[in-house]
Amino acid sequence: MKLDQISKHQTKLPSDPLNFLQLKRETPDKRASEARRIDFKEIYQTDLGYQSANQAARCLDCGNPYCEWKCPLHNYIPNWLDYVANEKYQQAAELMYETNPLPEICGRVCPQDRLCEQACTLNTGFGAVTIGAIEKNITDRAIANKWRPTVPELTKNAKKVAIIGAGPAGLACADQLARHGVKAVVFDKYPEIGGLLTFGIPGFKLEKDVIRKRRVFLQDIGVEFRLNTDVGKDIKFEQIRQEFDDVFLAMGTYTSVIADLPGMNSKGVYKALDYLVGNINQLEKFNMTEFPEINLKGKKVVVLGGGDTAMDCVRTAIRQNAKKVTCVYRRDEHSMPGSKTEVNNAKEEGVEFKFCLTPASIEQQSDSDLIQSVVFSKMQEQTDQETGVKSFLVSEQQSIIECDAVIVAFGFKASPQEWFTTAGIELNSHGLVKNSDGKSSEDGGSLRTSAENIYAGGDMVRGADLVVTAVAEGVKAAQEIVAKYTSC
Amino acid sequence: MSLYHSNQSKDNCGFGLIAHLDGQQSHQLLQTSLTALTRMTHRGAISSDGKTGDGCGLLIQLPSKFFRAITVELGFNLGSRFGVGQIFLSRDPVKAKKAKQILEQELIKETLTIVGWRDVPVDTSVCGEIALQTQPKIEQIFVNASPGWTKEDLERRLFIARRRAADRIVNDEDYYVCSLSGMVIVYKALVMPKYLDSFYQDLANPKLETSISLFHQRFSTNTAPLWKFAQPFRFLAHNGEINTISGNRNWATARQSTFYSPLLPDLGNLKHLVNQSGSDSSSLDNMLEVMLAGGMDIFRALRLLVPPAWAKRKNMDPDLRAFYEFNSMHMEPWDGPAGIVMTNGTQIACTLDRNGLRPARYVITKDRLLTVASEVGVWDYKESDVVEKDRVGPGEMLAADVSSGRIWRTNKIDDQLKHRHPYLEWLRENTIRLRSNSRLEKKATEDYINVNLKNLPVFEKLFNVSLEECEQVIRVIANDSQEPTSSMGDDTPMAVLSTQQRNLYDYFRQQFAQVTNPPIDPLREASVMSLETCFGREHNVFQETNGLAYRAIIGKPVLNYAKLKQLKELDQEYYQFQSISLNYNKTEGLETALVRITDKAVELVNNGCVILQLSDRDIAQDMLPIHAALATGAVHQRLIKEGLRCATNIVIETATARDPHHFAVLIGVGATAISPYLSLQIINRLSTEGKLTTDIISARRNYLKGINKGLLKILSKMGISTIASYRSAQLFEAVGLDQSIIDRCFPSVLSRIGGATFEDLHQENLKNANLAWQPLAKIKRSGQLKYVHGGEYHAYNPDVVSLLQIAVNSGNYSDYQRYANAVNQRPFATLRDLMKPINAATPLKLDSVEPTQTILKRFDSAGMSIGALSPEAHEALAIAMNTIGGRSNSGEGGEDPKRFASIKNSKIKQIASGRFGVDAAYLQSAEVLQIKIAQGAKPGEGGQLPGAKVTVEIAKLRNATPGVTLISPPPHHDIYSIEDIAQLIFDLKQVNSKALISVKLVSGPGVGTIAAGVAKAYADMITIAGHDGGTGASPLTSVKYAGTPWEIGLAEAHQALIENGLRDKICLQVDGGLKTGLDVIKGAILGADSFGFGTGPMVALGCKFLRICHLNNCATGVATQNKTLRNNHFVGLPQKVINYFEFVAQDVREWLALLAVESLDKLIGRTDLLEIIEGTTSQQKNLKLEVILDSARRPATGAKHYLGVRNNPFDHGELNQKLLADYKLNESSATSSQLNYSIKNFDRSVGASLAGYIATRQNKLDDHTTVDIDFHGIAGQSFGVWNCTGIHLNLTGDANDYVGKGMSGGQIAIRPPKNIQYVASRGAIVGNTCLYGATGGKLFAAGQAGERFGVRNSGAISVVEGVGDHGCEYMTGGAILILGPVGENFAAGMTGGIAFVLDQRDTLIKNVNPEHVECFRFSDNECDEYTEQLFEMLEQHVAATGSDWATRIIKNFDNYLDYFMLVIPKASCQSDDDTDSDSDYLELTAVEQPKSSLVPLRIVK
Repeated sequence: MKLDQISKHQTKLPSDPLNFLQLKRETPDKRASEARRIDFKEIYQTDLGYQSANQAARCLDCGNPYCEWKCPLHNYIPNWLDYVANEKYQQAAELMYETNPLPEICGRVCPQDRLCEQACTLNTGFGAVTIGAIEKNITDRAIANKWRPTVPELTKNAKKVAIIGAGPAGLACADQLARHGVKAVVFDKYPEIGGLLTFGIPGFKLEKDVIRKRRVFLQDIGVEFRLNTDVGKDIKFEQIRQEFDDVFLAMGTYTSVIADLPGMNSKGVYKALDYLVGNINQLEKFNMTEFPEINLKGKKVVVLGGGDTAMDCVRTAIRQNAKKVTCVYRRDEHSMPGSKTEVNNAKEEGVEFKFCLTPASIEQQSDSDLIQSVVFSKMQEQTDQETGVKSFLVSEQQSIIECDAVIVAFGFKASPQEWFTTAGIELNSHGLVKNSDGKSSEDGGSLRTSAENIYAGGDMVRGADLVVTAVAEGVKAAQEIVAKYTSC
Repeated sequence: MSLYHSNQSKDNCGFGLIAHLDGQQSHQLLQTSLTALTRMTHRGAISSDGKTGDGCGLLIQLPSKFFRAITVELGFNLGSRFGVGQIFLSRDPVKAKKAKQILEQELIKETLTIVGWRDVPVDTSVCGEIALQTQPKIEQIFVNASPGWTKEDLERRLFIARRRAADRIVNDEDYYVCSLSGMVIVYKALVMPKYLDSFYQDLANPKLETSISLFHQRFSTNTAPLWKFAQPFRFLAHNGEINTISGNRNWATARQSTFYSPLLPDLGNLKHLVNQSGSDSSSLDNMLEVMLAGGMDIFRALRLLVPPAWAKRKNMDPDLRAFYEFNSMHMEPWDGPAGIVMTNGTQIACTLDRNGLRPARYVITKDRLLTVASEVGVWDYKESDVVEKDRVGPGEMLAADVSSGRIWRTNKIDDQLKHRHPYLEWLRENTIRLRSNSRLEKKATEDYINVNLKNLPVFEKLFNVSLEECEQVIRVIANDSQEPTSSMGDDTPMAVLSTQQRNLYDYFRQQFAQVTNPPIDPLREASVMSLETCFGREHNVFQETNGLAYRAIIGKPVLNYAKLKQLKELDQEYYQFQSISLNYNKTEGLETALVRITDKAVELVNNGCVILQLSDRDIAQDMLPIHAALATGAVHQRLIKEGLRCATNIVIETATARDPHHFAVLIGVGATAISPYLSLQIINRLSTEGKLTTDIISARRNYLKGINKGLLKILSKMGISTIASYRSAQLFEAVGLDQSIIDRCFPSVLSRIGGATFEDLHQENLKNANLAWQPLAKIKRSGQLKYVHGGEYHAYNPDVVSLLQIAVNSGNYSDYQRYANAVNQRPFATLRDLMKPINAATPLKLDSVEPTQTILKRFDSAGMSIGALSPEAHEALAIAMNTIGGRSNSGEGGEDPKRFASIKNSKIKQIASGRFGVDAAYLQSAEVLQIKIAQGAKPGEGGQLPGAKVTVEIAKLRNATPGVTLISPPPHHDIYSIEDIAQLIFDLKQVNSKALISVKLVSGPGVGTIAAGVAKAYADMITIAGHDGGTGASPLTSVKYAGTPWEIGLAEAHQALIENGLRDKICLQVDGGLKTGLDVIKGAILGADSFGFGTGPMVALGCKFLRICHLNNCATGVATQNKTLRNNHFVGLPQKVINYFEFVAQDVREWLALLAVESLDKLIGRTDLLEIIEGTTSQQKNLKLEVILDSARRPATGAKHYLGVRNNPFDHGELNQKLLADYKLNESSATSSQLNYSIKNFDRSVGASLAGYIATRQNKLDDHTTVDIDFHGIAGQSFGVWNCTGIHLNLTGDANDYVGKGMSGGQIAIRPPKNIQYVASRGAIVGNTCLYGATGGKLFAAGQAGERFGVRNSGAISVVEGVGDHGCEYMTGGAILILGPVGENFAAGMTGGIAFVLDQRDTLIKNVNPEHVECFRFSDNECDEYTEQLFEMLEQHVAATGSDWATRIIKNFDNYLDYFMLVIPKASCQSDDDTDSDSDYLELTAVEQPKSSLVPLRIVK
């Protein structure tokens, strides 16, 4: 190469440091609520026209990158924003991908308003940098342009790791292993990878095509998938242990938390997950007979819970053309655990919200086991004088909401498998897998279980949590496994 | 073991000489010199006993007649030629006898005849107690020369005998030869000057006569000075400090083997040519005497040792340049503030260093007496007898020979020197200049990219390069040829504490000038600096011949590809090139490998190697690199030891050198030149990745340029001008290196707390290598600069900041405790983290501990100016601190007078080098006046506030014009040495007698010494800031590599104050990263009475540690002037700060209870309550922190902490007080008063008290109701200091330094007396640094001014008749009319105001520094509009002073007008008035502006 070929002025001069004042925060356009409430397509503009570079240039490049600190993956956000601001999208994409194996997914489903964007210094009256939107935009470009990192060729002696569960933790781990020259084979009982990304999260948040593209990518870099394979049933765990050097368990939590309410057995009371998976199964034609469609068209629906799953349910119900959809949460709006953005989206789409109500009973119609209404007790807010901590106490007052379907979205708990015990994997009292050193991975704990060569991460260790935390644990597990290989 | 050692003391002084030019000897002359000495008592120091001075003395001609007479009684038979030794002996008779015996033996060996010993009669009743304790026995030895010897023969033999005796007399601290000579004798003692002739009865004997008397009054930084440290030494007396002393001493050792003089055949046998400890001045004296004894004449010797600046002076005579260049090849400058007077008994000389930082004024009277002294007016000659008077300027020399009556001035001396040999011809024939070659550079770059770029990651990982370093250091320098700027300070652990892989360079902390010497401004005073570096074998300095000029020269010591290539290809007969690989096998071990390469180096040099390259470039798997700094240090030291260092040059080809500090370390430990190949390769990569704003070759050039600039900055921090003097000076403190490393590689580097061993470094090497050769391992993100998850720990990480903000917002103590826990339980990040409090078995109840209120009184906020902070944040801090009873600090940006009497008043007012807003009213408004010597984040450096940031508001506070760039110079131009700060403190105490004077220092080696010195200079409070202090904007390497942890500095200062008996008078404050009550507790245990908080309260006000302060876009509105951000986004209420401090105080109380100590006072020095805990890493475990605890220990007797005793100067400023009293008497009776006084040089700061009084009076004076005060005589320093409106001072006579300093109004007029014989306009009438920081008023002086006239003037109007070097530097306002010559570097950094110069000899253009100003001729019509102003100023001058010269000009105004020049700032320096817009892009770093040639004919608007 001749020097003259290296172009002369490739980097823009520093931009105006007061960019963040002059240029307002702008998120990608949302489709109008009338248009979006009738289909399951993503609600944000999906073309690549978003002004990523301008928005990225609003970043202050703080001495304390609060965004990066708050991100469970500790993505190098300011650094890739700098690339984006300089329109170096490929380098930005590479950097996103360095810490995050599933950036296009996190860009879509992460509750940025609780994580990076919430922590953003500019989120104090200036409007946070649109980190999520930029991440999505850039990774979509990467995928569209087929930008691929170079992956080392597998050697004959490459180590082999089995990953059980093709959800975010498993995929993250597989990706990282492959990129370090380790053969990763992912087992999953479902017909498609992604776990809840595919089957739990509705298409208006994450179109399924995104997962399919990711699958192609992963296969391209050498990850092998063995789907429709239920470990313990279709293949013995012992067999996997023999075939592979190490195993990473990333099986999530699938058992729904059920409140012990009178009338819970009424017809028309659904578990959130059954509802969501059934819907996606039908839409995407996965033909999984165990997840029949639950169609709430024309129904008056009450969704119990205030988290992201509840939001997915209410918005799915809207799209099924339910007559009325009410979300009921036991504390005030401020205390809702889910993403504020999603709540707003739901409101825009016509969901009604009720707060400070805790379900007391589900009343059946006098003549059937169909639901007539849900009876709620009103909650009263109390503030501790000394500590200033708010709490909610059940009061005598009651409130009744008439409905004909109830979706319970109280969360998920561990779903331990029988073979855990024989494999020597210890669990805690909640049925969650215990780390070998008892420290959480944020505090530098190991992801190894009590059993030799078996690692576990994601929801099945931490309890139900965000996609991004599952990804983070998948990455950490891979790092731990790779470190073991390189040090010997 | 302890941190403070009294033998590190530094000294400064007043000095001078009086000589009869025709050699007429008299006792009268001696008496006059004693008077002169006494009149400079204020320049020395007086101990607490009120009698013991720090030492003074005389160097006079050997009074032969006197000695012949008095020895008759003793029965001595003195020969025709004899010598006398003045000897200090031990009071232990056995030791004394032994010393005498040895001396006699050596004298006899030199075939001298011992005549006998005489007990020198002394009167000890005049000695203070302290002096008596250390008083030696004083005897004189008389020796006869063999017949036929010349006086030079005798001197040389006495010299050798004395030196050899000194080598043999060991374990005798008292033995000291004041002088041993046939030409001169020294009388010196630890008494006050006025008692010197009472102590030595010889001196009072009228028979003792001399025609030369050289005198010196010492100011030492400790209170236990020793007799032998008094000056003069055997040939000279020195005022100032040799900054380069450790390098000079090293080179003296290295050169010993090359020095040969037939006159001194035994030179090689002496142990040392110059002493290796003791004072810098004495080493200089040693060197001078070697040169003189070796046959060199005074002129060459002095010019060789202390040359003027020549390298960059384009207008210098080429022959003279050649003389200096030739000589520079044999000796590096002994650099530093130096005023030297010397004599050998017949010749006398006075010379100043290139910067002219010490004053020297001279007067010649009708009776042929020449008086040279630090001050004018040191004895009462008649003004009408004066035939000439002036000053000695920078790099100038004044000499005389009393045997011939001849006087030489600088030009004559230089003329003589340059014509001795055809230096220019020699140089032309034999020197080669190596130059860059962009064609070669391009070819190499292309080859590299095509062939080797793929290997770069291995190098990067092996040499521990982080991504940040590539992106934020190397890339920035390559783009901008400028170091990156950072803000907020360094909150990461020191290298030794870090759990990350750190570079060895991180262990080195740069030393910086502080109080006893000044830093230089490498940008504005670049003309005195030089990086020129020579290659070739050094030869004998005594021999001046053609062959000695065989040299290859490079302008800068950092090599690019082409220069290194040329170096390798030089003629191998003269420049044999050899290379040693620094890579060693993993199994060999680091230390063994080091020994191996030093052996190899010795072998190569013995075999004729002249250019020795050490290279780490040939890396290989299984091999590890020896760090270049270790290798350089070890090889350099070994070659010195073998006497081979000057036969070779060490070139380092290394991957480790990347930022300027790295280069400074390598050169500092001995490298000749450096080739930073890896940095250049990284630039290649960055370019291929499209990350540079310029093309690759320019980027490589930019990088080297940036490194060189950085080097200049690092040199200038220590006040060093040339790289030759910096090389090998080892001006670092190592924090965390084991002594074994220091001993082998860096013996002059102080390392006081142990730390990493060779084995630890080897292990780190292994870790790097392990990653390096793994292809998949990525180059790491180290988090050294900014927080990165998984990277380096940051004390103000997001958790800590967030938790603190939650706490101050909620006001809940439980929230504070969460914050405190996050801080207290962090990984070991500071030295104090390894010290754990030992809780008492039975804690106290909380209510028996001192209350919160008394603890809060000890809390101050750190100095942060309006400008750095928004006015809102600044006021919120003031309100909060005043509410809790603590004190807020104005910072260095002035303060709105409206705030003075309100709750918004900052009780601490800072006086910094820029003197912004510092006037009498400002000073009067304070409880504490803090002299900011240094700032933790960038000690030894100045700053710049770009015009765009100087808003209308800021400009008003700083007495500046909106939009005009403001520069803070690196030094206070009135503090170049310890006696100068004593003077400034005196000024301040005169203007505001109630305020405590505080001096802010930065922790560094010797800070204890400085603290004691500052205490002796009558400060009341000392702040010791740690290296981790905050900043609004600093170069990154300054933030990272200067200053040391406060734990060391505080303990050292505390110990020094205790040992010197000064602790009761000094309130000791600690400042740096204090966060919780536990920090306060530890600070108190280590010696602090008071506590400064900077970042903590800022975070409480909403600061989120964004590190963007320098961009003026602080999103929290704390550190910005942007109105939108301030108005809409600043959330800092005073209450939040109050919450913070109340939490901390409560926290302190809880700790006190746990420790069972009732109060902080009782905790100070209780080191028994701290235990050292073991670290987690090997390096941490090797630390030896006990020395800190041992040093800070509570003493058994004496004051244990500050007792509030006022530290009052011995000088009560009588004239000042009289003035004030007289004024007050008249005040009521009349509106205008007329007062009349006579004045002498010891009447200092005259006018200050009155100014202070008037500035705060309700009914202020104006220019119509004035008080006129007349003086006649010679005014002491700081005449008219802080003068303010309404006060008119008229002086008939002369004035010394600092006239009109800080003046804000009124008028000072100085005129010569009538009936004088000299031409007033041709000599100095006022001293140096006049009008420094003046903001208004008028100064008229009918004569010339010294150096640095009008520095930082921002409003005063003045007329003088000539100025020295650096006139009008950093000026931002006002008008100066100069009716005569101007010195070099005129108007450097002048961004505002105007200057008129009468340039009759057309020299102005050559002397002006064109960076910021343009010059125009009045002969062009364009200047018309200024003519009236010019004329008006002339008229005022005549009216005020009656100047003959000005009168003549007025009479022929039209003729003279054509010779006038106008100097004004370039239009580009002034931006639009409307600078308060929201979109200003600001950068605070000092940016070198492109130099434009002057266009004198441009039209002026």
